[in-house]
Amino acid sequence: MKVTVAQYYPGSSPIHRLDPRAKFIAVSALAVALFLRDSYAGLLVFAAAGGVAYALSGVPASWFWRAFRPLLWLVGLTFLAQVLFAPGDPFFSFWIFHLSWAGLDLAAFLSLRLVVLVLIGSVLTLTTAPLALTDGLAWLGRPLRRLRVPTDELALMVTIALRFIPTLLVELDQIMRAQRARGADFRSGGLGQRARALVPVLVPLFVLSFRRADELALAMEARCYRPGIVRTRLHPLHAGTADAVLLALTAAIIAAGLLV
Amino acid sequence: MSGSASSVAPHEDARPGIALACRGLGFSYSEARAPIPALREVSFELCAGGSLALLGASGSGKSTLLQVVRGLDEAETGAVLLDGRAAGDVGYPELRREVGLVFQVPELQLFAATAREDVAFGPRRLGWSGDEVEAAVDEAMDLAGLPPADFGDRHPYALSGGEQRRLALAGVLAMRPRLLLLDEPFVSLDPRTRRELARILRRLKDSGVTLVLATHDVDLAWSLCDELLVLDRGRVAVAGAWDFGAAGGHLLAADRLREPFLVTLWRRLGRDPREAPRTAAAAAEALS
Repeated sequence: MKVTVAQYYPGSSPIHRLDPRAKFIAVSALAVALFLRDSYAGLLVFAAAGGVAYALSGVPASWFWRAFRPLLWLVGLTFLAQVLFAPGDPFFSFWIFHLSWAGLDLAAFLSLRLVVLVLIGSVLTLTTAPLALTDGLAWLGRPLRRLRVPTDELALMVTIALRFIPTLLVELDQIMRAQRARGADFRSGGLGQRARALVPVLVPLFVLSFRRADELALAMEARCYRPGIVRTRLHPLHAGTADAVLLALTAAIIAAGLLV
Repeated sequence: MSGSASSVAPHEDARPGIALACRGLGFSYSEARAPIPALREVSFELCAGGSLALLGASGSGKSTLLQVVRGLDEAETGAVLLDGRAAGDVGYPELRREVGLVFQVPELQLFAATAREDVAFGPRRLGWSGDEVEAAVDEAMDLAGLPPADFGDRHPYALSGGEQRRLALAGVLAMRPRLLLLDEPFVSLDPRTRRELARILRRLKDSGVTLVLATHDVDLAWSLCDELLVLDRGRVAVAGAWDFGAAGGHLLAADRLREPFLVTLWRRLGRDPREAPRTAAAAAEALS
């Protein structure tokens, strides 16, 4: 019962080395373009682009499955909804459900589009360290500071949250084990029973988290953290030729995807 | 009766009096790229009522071994035998209930609104009757040095660090384990609480509980445990009785461990280190 999250695959491929801002812009633009075009040909272009990027990243194919698995039910649900309720000339009807070739076609297309979306998105999350991603987003959000949106503070919050996810997972695992050693059972029983079984796990986890938040805030203040002042970065972001090439390629792919 | 030698029904491992035996245990943690082996071919035996010090550098597999013995992780190879019978999914899962495990920093597991309630969690999960639970809680809290009359209604988080540690211990003792595993129970305790905890463990040992104590504190291990098991990167480096042998060549040298203070003292005094006393009191008696 080990708790894991599939997100970042450390590496040094060309994709890993790209600037997170460039990657984020490219992936967002591709995602939008993907939904602007309703043809298999377009889908194929985007899928190929995603596939090539994924191959270049050197991430094992099995990791795509890890990223994709949590979304499987969403794809399944999309497919079912489209298949069962889509309009069209039904070749099979039962109660309120109508199966038609047009419906099947639409369902397949929409599901495949989701798969391609996850593929493109997973290239970003698998090859970009969460902290680099947050830095990139903070930079991209800078114009919002004019509107008094505290972007740096928000980025810091996200950074801290990301930083503590692995820690919390380890502690969650430890506390669950400790309570299992005392006879707790998290796997059997109905929903209510299972929810109640989590009380001995969640109470210590919350207490621990609040205590840690307190200590972290003190430690940050002791090292002169003050909100609202501009901080310089230890690792400034550098966009280079490769990033310009990425954006140009992205533009070309989008053009191709929309025009074929 | 010497004349009526009756054959004992064959067990899976028919040696009497062995409370815990591990046979070729192997376990590895699955990590993203390659599994990390944590235990390799770990085998040892511990008599009922015995006490075993589990020593070894950080990351040598001490905690993993305790988790596997308690059944929180299933061994990939080998078997854990409790009272000579294989414990585990294929063996006798109920045997595992007689194994108590006190985690590293066990106070993290406290969750209930009162000390009493927290200690009662384990016994209730065992399905004991209300009276049995009450009796077990009283006994365990007394044993842990937290008289239920004084501490029963206190909030666990309002207790001091040392009291929390002992309360967590009581929560395990209340399930009346016959084999008690402790994962570095002395970490970050002040000297007085350490002494109290050592006293509690000695009392448990005297009452016949089999102890396995994972620790970095060789002196405490020496004063509490009859035998030792030294792990080195998941393998058994030393198993069995403490043996400091001839001068200089003692068993612990290989493993970043020093020998117990009293053993060194005995060596320096020119006495046989194998006869070194276990406690300061015994040393004083021998020297006076």
